[in-house]
Amino acid sequence: MKTLLLSFLFSVSVFAYEFGSNLDGAMLKTLQINDSKTYIISFFASWCHSCEKELPDLDELHQGLDKTRYEIIGVDIDKDIENAKVFQKSLDLSFRVINDNKQNIVSVFKPIGMPSLYIIKDKKVLHVMTGARDDIDEVISNYLGIQDD
Amino acid sequence: MIKLFILLSVLLFSGCVKEVQPWEKEQLSSDMMKPDGGNALYKQFQEHIYFSKEGSKGGVGVAGGGCGCN
Repeated sequence: MKTLLLSFLFSVSVFAYEFGSNLDGAMLKTLQINDSKTYIISFFASWCHSCEKELPDLDELHQGLDKTRYEIIGVDIDKDIENAKVFQKSLDLSFRVINDNKQNIVSVFKPIGMPSLYIIKDKKVLHVMTGARDDIDEVISNYLGIQDD
Repeated sequence: MIKLFILLSVLLFSGCVKEVQPWEKEQLSSDMMKPDGGNALYKQFQEHIYFSKEGSKGGVGVAGGGCGCN
């Protein structure tokens, strides 16, 4: 019985970034993030229709953000990098996007759905949001305590 | 010997039950994976047959792109 349990534990990887997790050094370097700002990491893909609806709102939010305090980073998980580039160009995103075509980043974060959004401050995951929302810009603004003009 | 057999079985067969992760659903979310294969005319035709037989209209299909969200 003990053998069975041990072999099951070793055969299944259960680690994922969630609320309260600390990002490791390699991931911080990959995402190029540090302690100076609050980061909003958005995972999306061209085949995710919900992402397509949500991203313009996120872009609008980014344009109004204080860049010295906040930064939105997109992580496009498309395996086909050309598809990814066409998709990003069609949305004309103003924030930095990392092409994770080998899915190395997303497989570490392990979001439970797409799109997924992580708010990170001081190398720590403060909040995780899964699934598209019509009012994502308002939700994030409220979370970060940003007042609309 | 039995322990070794169990260990090997679990390690070998654990790959058979691998869950498709949300970021791996590109193929599943394509139009071709829909019952109508992305053919709007075929879908319309099928729906016409359905509501003609059932005496009802609407309430078919689901929202979303199969990406595991909402």
